[in-house]
This record gives sequence, C-alpha cells and structure tokens, in this order.
Amino acid sequence: MTQFLSLLLNGISLGAIYALIALGFVVIFKASEVVSFTQGSLLLLGAYAIARLSDPLGFYLAALVGIAITALAAFVIERLIINRLRGAPVISLAIVTIGVDIILLTELIRRIGSDILNVPHPWGGDSVQIGDVGISENRLIAIIVAGLLIALFFLAFKFSSWGVAMRASAEDGETAALMGIRLGRVSALAWVVAGILTGVAALFLVGSPTPGVSPSAYTVALRAFPAAILGGLDSTGGALVGGLLIGVAESLAAGYQDDLLFLGRGFGDVVPYIVMIAVLLVRPSGLFGTRELTRV
Amino acid sequence: MDGVSAAADVRSDVPPVLVEDVTVRFGAITALSQVSFTVEPGTIHAIIGPNGAGKSTMFNVLSGVYKAAEGQVRFGEHRLDRMRPYQIAGIGVARSFQNIALSPAQSVAENLMLGRHHLTRAGFVAAGLRLPRATREGRVHGGRVAEIAEFLDLGDKLHTPVGVLSYGDQKRVEVARALCTEPRLLLLDEPVAGMNAEETDRMAEAVLEIRSALGISVILVEHDMGMVMSLADRVTVLDFGRRIADGTPAEVQSDPEVIRAYLGSGDEIDPSEAAEAAAAAHPSETPGTTS
Amino acid sequence: MSESTATATATRGATRRAGRTAPAPRRSYLRPLLLAVALLVLLALPLYVEEFWLRTGFAVAGAIVGAIGLNLLVGTTGQLSLAHAFFLAVGAVTYTFVAGESGGIGLADLRGLGWPPLVGMVAGVLLAGLAGLLFSPIAARLRGIYLGVASLALVFIGQHVLNSWTQVTGGFNGRSTPEFSLFGFTFGNTDPDLFVLEVPFREAERLWYLGLALALAAYVFARNLLRSRPGRALETLRDSEVAASVMGVNVQRYKGRVFLVSSMYAGLSGVMYALSIGSIAPESFGLELSVLYLAMIVLGGLGSVGGAALGALFVSALPLVFQRYADALPLVGGAGEGGLAPGEAARYLFGLAIILVVLFQPTGLAGLAARFRRRGRDPGGGPADRSASATSDSTTSVPSDPPAQGSTS
Repeated sequence: MTQFLSLLLNGISLGAIYALIALGFVVIFKASEVVSFTQGSLLLLGAYAIARLSDPLGFYLAALVGIAITALAAFVIERLIINRLRGAPVISLAIVTIGVDIILLTELIRRIGSDILNVPHPWGGDSVQIGDVGISENRLIAIIVAGLLIALFFLAFKFSSWGVAMRASAEDGETAALMGIRLGRVSALAWVVAGILTGVAALFLVGSPTPGVSPSAYTVALRAFPAAILGGLDSTGGALVGGLLIGVAESLAAGYQDDLLFLGRGFGDVVPYIVMIAVLLVRPSGLFGTRELTRV
Repeated sequence: MDGVSAAADVRSDVPPVLVEDVTVRFGAITALSQVSFTVEPGTIHAIIGPNGAGKSTMFNVLSGVYKAAEGQVRFGEHRLDRMRPYQIAGIGVARSFQNIALSPAQSVAENLMLGRHHLTRAGFVAAGLRLPRATREGRVHGGRVAEIAEFLDLGDKLHTPVGVLSYGDQKRVEVARALCTEPRLLLLDEPVAGMNAEETDRMAEAVLEIRSALGISVILVEHDMGMVMSLADRVTVLDFGRRIADGTPAEVQSDPEVIRAYLGSGDEIDPSEAAEAAAAAHPSETPGTTS
Repeated sequence: MSESTATATATRGATRRAGRTAPAPRRSYLRPLLLAVALLVLLALPLYVEEFWLRTGFAVAGAIVGAIGLNLLVGTTGQLSLAHAFFLAVGAVTYTFVAGESGGIGLADLRGLGWPPLVGMVAGVLLAGLAGLLFSPIAARLRGIYLGVASLALVFIGQHVLNSWTQVTGGFNGRSTPEFSLFGFTFGNTDPDLFVLEVPFREAERLWYLGLALALAAYVFARNLLRSRPGRALETLRDSEVAASVMGVNVQRYKGRVFLVSSMYAGLSGVMYALSIGSIAPESFGLELSVLYLAMIVLGGLGSVGGAALGALFVSALPLVFQRYADALPLVGGAGEGGLAPGEAARYLFGLAIILVVLFQPTGLAGLAARFRRRGRDPGGGPADRSASATSDSTTSVPSDPPAQGSTS
C-alpha cells in the first residue's frame, strides 16, 4: 500500500509537469490551429539554458532567464514562421513546426553531446517523507508550482482580456477578427504563454530524481503529447487531466515493473502511448475534446 | 408547360420525399424544430427563409451530414435520417454545395468523375494495376461526364484545373458534379449565389431542363427570390428553425407570416418585388429570354 | 437504370452545342523518349559506376518506395502520420525473421524460419499491411492532425518491442539480415559468379537492379492509383471530407484503405532498408526516421508521386554524399574536429529546407519542376501556372461574393 501511495504521489508530480507541457500545446492549438511538434525541443532548450546559466548567474536568476529564453524562442518562431502561414492547411503548419524542431534539436544535441549537464537546484536531491510516503523535494515543489501556475493560467484564461480574445478566436476566428480581435497578437501571446509553461516544466523535469539535462529529456517531453491528445486537443481542462493520468499511469507501470517483466524492461516509458491509444479507440476526439462541427 | 403540372415525364423510380417533424439540436441551440414538408416526385421544391433560418441545416439532414434528433426523412423505402452520407449518395440523392467544395488542383473532368464514384467499382488493386476492367470503366464513364459538362457549358474546360476557373464556372461544376451521380433527387444549395444576372438566367434554364429531361425531383435552397418564384412548384419557408409557410409560390408570397418574417429581419426580399419577378419570369418564358 | 435518362440529357446537350469537343491535354512525344533514355542509362549504370554509388542507389530506391507510400497517406489524403518508421520496422524485422536462420550470436538466442527470402519479402509487406490494418480503427476515425500525434505511439511502442523481443529482433544490438535471393539466384557477391561485359556483377550491382525494379513498380502503381477512382476519392476527402462523403465516398473505409496501402509500401521499404544496411537495429527505426520520411515528401511536393521520389533521392543520398566528401566540404568535418558531423549538417539542411518549402514553395520540388517545364513551353506562364500552386485550402480563397440580394430580373 505504501508503495502504491508513493508511486501515486510521484505519478501526480510527474503528471503535473506533463500537464504544463500539454497545456502549452493546447494553448497554441487553440490560438493558432497549430499542432506544435516544437514543444519537445523547446523544453530541451529551456533545460539547457538553465543548466548553462546557473554557473554565472546563480540558480534563481538562471531559472528566470532560462524560462524567458524559452518564451522568447517560442515568440520568435511564431513571428517569423507561423504568423506568415495564417490560413495555411493545418497539416502544413504541423510540418513546419517539425522543421523547426529538427534544427533546434540537432543544435542542442550537438551542444550537449554525451554529457549530462547538472542543474544545481538549491533543494538538490533531498527527499521528504509524508507519513510513509517518500517523494523528492524537487517533485514536491514541482506539484506546488505547477498547481499555482495552472490555477493562474485558468484564471487568466477565464477573466483576462487575452483569455477572452483567445477563446473567441478559437471559437470562430473570422468573427473574432471582425470584432476587432487581432488574431496575430492572440497567437503570439499564446506561443509566449506556452513557452513559459514549457520552460517551467523544463526546470523541474531535469531535477531529482532525473540526474540532469541530457537529450533524453526530449523523449520525456514528447510523452506530454499523448496527454494533450487524450484530454482533447482543444481542451485546457483536458490537458490537465490528461497530464495527470499519463503521469500516474507511467509511474505505476515503472514501479510495478517487476510484475510486468513479460512486457519487457522499460515498459513504463510506452505506457503513456498505450493509454492514449486506448482512449482514442473509444473517443476519437479525446476525453474532453469537442467533436468538430462541419460547416458546409 | 406550366407550374406544378410541368412534371409530366416523372421517372417511375422517383418517390416523394417525406420530411416529418424533423428536429435538430446543437447543444442548447435548436436549429430545426419539428419541420415537415413533402416533395412530390418530379417537382422543384424551394426552401427559403432569412439567414439562420435553418435552410442549410435542413440540407445537411437530407444529405446525412447532420443527424436529426427527432423526426424522420423518408425517400421511398429509405430512411435518409438513418443513413450515412455515402449511403444516401448511393441511392441517388445528390447535392451541390453553397460554398464550393471542389478539389481545386484537379481538373473539371476529375472533379466530375468523383460524381461517378458510386456508379463505378474500381478499387485500389484494380486501379493501381490498371486492370482492363478499371480502364474500361474509366473510359465509359468519362464519356458520360463529358456529356454532362457539355450540358452545363463546361465542355471546353474539361481539362482545366477547377482552381483557375471563374466563380460562376465553379458553381456550375458543383451542379454538374451532382448531376454526374445520376440522381433521382437533386439538392441544390444556392446554385446562383454570387452569379451575375446572365449566369443566373442560364442556371435557371439548366435547372428546368434537368427536371424536364430527367424527370427527377429538385430541392433548392436559394436567396434569389426571382429565381425561386419563377422556378419552384412549391415553396417551404423556414424562420428560426420552424416552418412558417408551405405552398405554391403565389400562396407563400401572400402569407402574412412570411411577409412579417422577411420585413422583420430586413433581409432578402421585398415581397412585392418578388411577386413582380415571379410574374415576369415564368418558367415557360425563361428559355426564350436567354438563348 | 440511368441509361435512358442519360441519353435524354446527352441529346439535349449535343444538339445545343453540336460538334464542339473538348480539347484533350497536349501529348508530347518528347516525354516517353526521355523516359526511355533515362531508363537505359539507369540500366547501364552498374557497368560504369563504382560500388559506393550503386549501394547509395539501392538505399535511395528503398527510400523512394517508402516515400511514395507515405505521400499517398499524407500528401494525397491529408492524414499526417509519424508512424512510418514503425511500419518500416515491421517489414524489416519480418523479412529478417522469416528468411533468417535460427542460431545464437553471443548470448542472444535468435529464432528464424529460414524460408526463401522472397517469401520473407512478401511476408514483410503483408505483415506491415496487417499492422496498418490493426491500427486503422484509429487511423480511419481520426482527423489528419489527431492522427499525427496518435501515430507517435506506434513509433515508441515499436521501439520498445524491438528492444525487448530479442529472439526475433536481436534486441538492443539488432541482428544481421540474410541476403536476398530469387529462385536460387542470390543477390550476394558470389553464387553464381557473374560477369557482364567483363565487369563483375557482385552484390551492389545485383541489388541495384532489384532496387530499380521495385522502385519503378511502386512508382507506377501509385501513379495509376492517383489517376483513377480511388485516387480521386482520396484527394477529395483531403480537400473536404463532407464533400467526399456526400458524393458517395465511404470516408472511413477509404482512410483505412490508404493507411493499409501506405503501410505496405513502408513494409517493402523496410525490407529494402534491411537489405541495404545488412542488419537491423532498433535505433534505426526511431522517430527520426519518420521525420526524415516526412522531410522527403514535403521537399518533393505533397501529393506528387514524382515529387516523393525526388525528395527521397535528395534526403537519403545527401548524408551519404556528405560523408564521402566530408574532407572536401567546408563546415562539414569529422565530429571530433569541431566541424559539423555529416549527419548533423544534413539534418540542419533538412530542417531549414522544410521550413523554406512550406513558407515559399508549398508544392515542393515537383512544383518547381512543373513550373520550369511550363515556362519552357509557354513563356508567358499563363493562367495554368497558378494551378500547380493551388493547394488544398484555395477553395476558401475564392472570392465569396455575398448572396445576391433581392431579384435579379
């Protein structure tokens, strides 16, 4: 039972990180109809920047600057490329983000090489005990920060003028434009928000129990994609639920790995994808996604 | 040939369309509420109404794109409300789209050949290997497609990509593609929207010819009141998803509720003008005016 | 049932505009002639060209097959898939398992059926198809963009299986591929020894012809497919699913079918890949391979069979060429020398090329070639010039006049 609770708590913490990435993914999709395959390399960029800047700037400043760099990169991608493709087929938009991803990822992997860059989190690798259940301090802080950030996001989404504009343009871009909402600005802001969320996710993803920044962080970040899809690509709430679901499922599968050995070692890594397929079989638009209403 | 009795040569296999108490909801919004009407075989039946009245929704129900929450749509022994769009196409119900839904990079001929889809059989293997039956099928149906293109003045544009055609030509390709399915029931969604006066007249002429030569039923959604009043044998008027009138063009025009609906919304027609148009452009006279 | 009514309209149409027939597209005799010459050159090449180029040629042929298959799905039908690497893996592993022998290498205890390689190849294609069929309940129901992310799943699950199912796949280290043979004629260096015009025809030469034949067959099949009933249905459902279904196309079935065909192409491509490398290893079939295939069809031109072939040539040959001429190229150098490794240089180029193509040349190399051809024939360019760049969204760009108000009479 203790093991189960521990895995559950760790799963939730991992899920909170996934949820941040998935939220960014969903925000971008809602604002600009882009399925951004760049999120994985953006996350790696954030992690790399934080790791490299920690030495000269100190951890806290490095974290802030690293997150800002991630947001800035997202902003530049939107302005330079996505913004020029307004109205292009969804599939071209997705493909162009893959192009960006290839370049960014190649550059980062070249820079990181086979090293594992250390991020000197002040809380280090300590873990805390809650009753019998143990969790790394890093992950506990991740839950709290992610929770606050997500709450802030939902408030902004609901009440700020940006949130209203974004929901309006996701609903019906043409009408929103007629009402004076500047789609370009909404889209740019969405990318910035996604960049921030991804940067924060990077900060915690490379902390304990993960040893540091290595190219494998990219693969981990990709598991947030199933989270976004199974929640429903256009549902912010779905991204949250999807992230948690994926995190918990992965953590449980990894924890009970010995009982699942017949499925092969490292089975936990593919569990997110299996969960996604299972959900899509039943609900092709995800758990909370709206079925697209065809207008003819 | 005048009015309702125009359908002298109705095809024997064209049954009436019975729309009975059809209701369509999107979430909390009721787009259609208990709408009923009947389309007699071989007639031209118009559905009109102000913007947002539910005309397009009705078309989407008839062609199987939307599912009705309640009510039924019968076409002979078939229940259209229970069928998928491709099945509905398979029993001879064809539709043109208001917002052109053609493949712009394909030629006119290729777009029209799609209309032959349910009449042809070639599958992936037969087509990929160019089996004799696939090529023969393509040849035979290509001939028929050329005839239909000719009929709608598209004969010299068969090999032109649709994307470079004028708007009026694209609208005609829409109608031609629907005709290529050899329909028993033809649904035309605003076939003359955005056309100039001359193109409109030619389209009206074509619709009359289709009906008289093929003996099929035509359901028409149209904003152009002149066209509706001159072509239609019968008119159903929708407003806010309800049927507010149903009758001959003359009956509908004098219906107080129809007048109120149109005046109230400040939309589309001045009833008196429409009446004038109907009187001026009666079906029997249209062909003479343009040819 | 339609015959009588058909003639009714036909006669009307005919009497109204008697004698005017539609001009068929111009046919030039230059084209078949050029094709014949090109084919001859390709057939004669092993007599003159060294082994490196022939091996590269076979790798390119395998990529061409795979790219054509992916293009049917992504370019023609508008269904984004990142699972292509998975289906290549299914083909490659099946071939290796069916044609390979049982035996142990080091600690690994490998299984194999030891059947004729041709059976292995066919099995590879069929099994990849079967895998596609199993996934098609999902593939057929998802809209293009959902499929893009969902298909990621297959790549990662595939990686896991490749790493874990050691007896069949060789596990982490992979296993070597049995050489191909056709009715006793092996595509190896000997058995039988073969000389043509005193040039020894060894493995590279033999595989070259195999690749040529398979790529050509894949090309012709896809071309035929696109020019006929199923192809039209697929293109229409990319442009508008609703229009396609209303015109009688069973959209779900067609999406499933094209997924099946595409994965069979991938299966064949996987078998060729295994033959070309000589071994299979899990890391070869990762997400990166899927992305490379996507790069091929985007650069070549989405929806164009010839474009896919061009893109495959470019993307699969470039890293090999970089590798060979690493010394001669500026910037590119050995990994340790501070320069870019050849693979990295190629990846930068692909990424950049994808972005530039989507931004400035959405029809890819095929579109460029078409424009070039037209310019040769018709200096003015003419209105048809725009047709090639008409992408799937151009329906919406048609000036949509407001509905005519009131009466037009």
